[in-house]
Amino acid sequence: MARYLRSRPILVFLAVLISLVLVDRAEGNILTTATVFSSLQYFSTFGLVALGLALTMLIGEFDISVGGLFGLGGCVAVLTGNTDPWVGIAVALSTGLLFGVAQGLIITGFRLDSVAVTLGGLLTANGLAYVLTLNKTITFDNIDLALALNEPIGVVLSPRSIVVIAFFLVAILIFGTTRIGRDLIATGSDRKAAMISGVRVDRLLVASFAVSGALSALGGALLSYGLASASPTGLTDVLVPAIAAAILGGVSLSGGVGSPFGLMVGILTISVLRSGLNALGVPPFVNDVVSGTILLAVAIVDAPYLSRRLRRLALRPG
Amino acid sequence: MREEVIVLQEAKKRKAPHGLPFSRLAVMRVALLAAIAVFAVLTPGFLTVPSLTTLLTTTSFVGCIAIAMTFITLSGNIMSFALGATAAVSAVVFVHVLNMAGYFPAIVAALAAGALVSGAQGVLIGGLRANPIIVSIAANVLIYGCAQWLTRNETAHVLNPADTLLLKGKLFGLPVEFIVFLAATIVAQLLLSLTIFGRNLFYIGSGFRAAEAIGLPTVRTTVGAYVWAGLFSAITGITLASRFTQANMEFALHYDYDAIAAVLVGGTAIQGGSGSMLRTFVGVIAIGVIQVLLLLHGLREEWRILATGLIVLAVIVLYSSRRRN
Repeated sequence: MARYLRSRPILVFLAVLISLVLVDRAEGNILTTATVFSSLQYFSTFGLVALGLALTMLIGEFDISVGGLFGLGGCVAVLTGNTDPWVGIAVALSTGLLFGVAQGLIITGFRLDSVAVTLGGLLTANGLAYVLTLNKTITFDNIDLALALNEPIGVVLSPRSIVVIAFFLVAILIFGTTRIGRDLIATGSDRKAAMISGVRVDRLLVASFAVSGALSALGGALLSYGLASASPTGLTDVLVPAIAAAILGGVSLSGGVGSPFGLMVGILTISVLRSGLNALGVPPFVNDVVSGTILLAVAIVDAPYLSRRLRRLALRPG
Repeated sequence: MREEVIVLQEAKKRKAPHGLPFSRLAVMRVALLAAIAVFAVLTPGFLTVPSLTTLLTTTSFVGCIAIAMTFITLSGNIMSFALGATAAVSAVVFVHVLNMAGYFPAIVAALAAGALVSGAQGVLIGGLRANPIIVSIAANVLIYGCAQWLTRNETAHVLNPADTLLLKGKLFGLPVEFIVFLAATIVAQLLLSLTIFGRNLFYIGSGFRAAEAIGLPTVRTTVGAYVWAGLFSAITGITLASRFTQANMEFALHYDYDAIAAVLVGGTAIQGGSGSMLRTFVGVIAIGVIQVLLLLHGLREEWRILATGLIVLAVIVLYSSRRRN
């Protein structure tokens, strides 16, 4: 069972890929380098947000503010990074980090529910983005950088996707070699037991919210640099694929289950699906309908009472 | 030994500082509302008929969504991101049916649409215990996606504007929208106070497992909360469509955030199980007054959004009691 669950992300990925190819009826729209390139571009758009969110899910919490910090990160990076892009990146990173630390401290200090606190954080970060940009789309003057970020390297990669993939490799490495991953999973599955066995639960929790905030803001900054613009709107745009990717990648909402590798496969699944649909030339609303349906489906699959209801259905005579 | 120390530390934390006694909390809340009121009266241009009429009309649109949200918050499901979208669907359905079949079929159809869209989420959340936040975010995306598919995002116009006169204009010197909101508050409060559904809602909100253990109909009550939420959101859709004699999916966009802000400012607990519709009513008015004040002091839309966010954050931190396990 455990092995099956661990391989579930890969099975889902293969299923999505095969169905896209079947829908394409071998016209050769799906299995092209262009689709691989655009999948990896999608991957880099919401990969960091999904990684941050998944970290907090792993520990048994839920950071809904990632959507707001993604937007805020993009806005502050574009506002401060016009002369030196590194300044913008640094400001975005520290904004996300500060926000995350503050939320983590509030959650651990007052023993509050993380969804409630980060809901406030989501709306506050979003409001800050509106105020800083004066409710307008702002443009990034460094067009050269924007173009360079999306320049293909080795046919399917780009500087943007290389950065994001590097973050995932680091995450996989940290999980494989240090005790952080184990501590996160222990805390997510049984907080009291983890505490008794010597895990500094509160510190770990604050750290995971800090990392989540920083990664989201960085993801926003990268995207805004790549698009050469930033806007405060689109609060849930990135939240939908990020949540779906995390759950498809085997990270459970109940905490204590998941791995960076599985998550990476989950994000790839959503990315391939999106760019595959685009390659098939579907109208834009199909993307919304499909991603909404997937999110609904993963919410149902992850629902704690699902197996109980199914068992009762199966036991019902006739 | 170590375990004992931890237990002791936990116990100490449980008594910890933030837990203000209820009376002080109530005093704080009243003081806050009084401060807003004084500030409002002192702001030039606030106490004028056009300003107050606009305030009552616009808050009433968000108000019915806040009433709807209160059912969901009370049931222990935090909030919904899909009530604004539900209101928009109801508005579009209302206008189309109004043009085809007339006034009362239109109201019935709009209410049914709202109840169906929201109730379906209730089935997943109550029956399977699916995560309410994620279900509502998914529903939000699905509703807008399907609407674009079905209506091509076109605006539906009321062919005979005289049809909507009943829900427009003034009654007893008050905007009709406000009367509707007032009536909705009273009906919703009666549902909470007088029905078995209302009593069960408080039970499942304060402890789902416990409510389940003593055999309360948890599924039916959760679905009920979402159906009522859909119905009250539909009322916002109907009044919006009547006011503008048209409807599109831009209606009620992002009302969810103002609604949850109003629910929390009113003093309904985010964890569920405690609160009332009257509190939400007060919260709606308070949020509306704050927004009008910001406008009168020259702070535009973006400041309104930031203020809503800060208010939600502050209220969650100040009012919330310690997390239940």
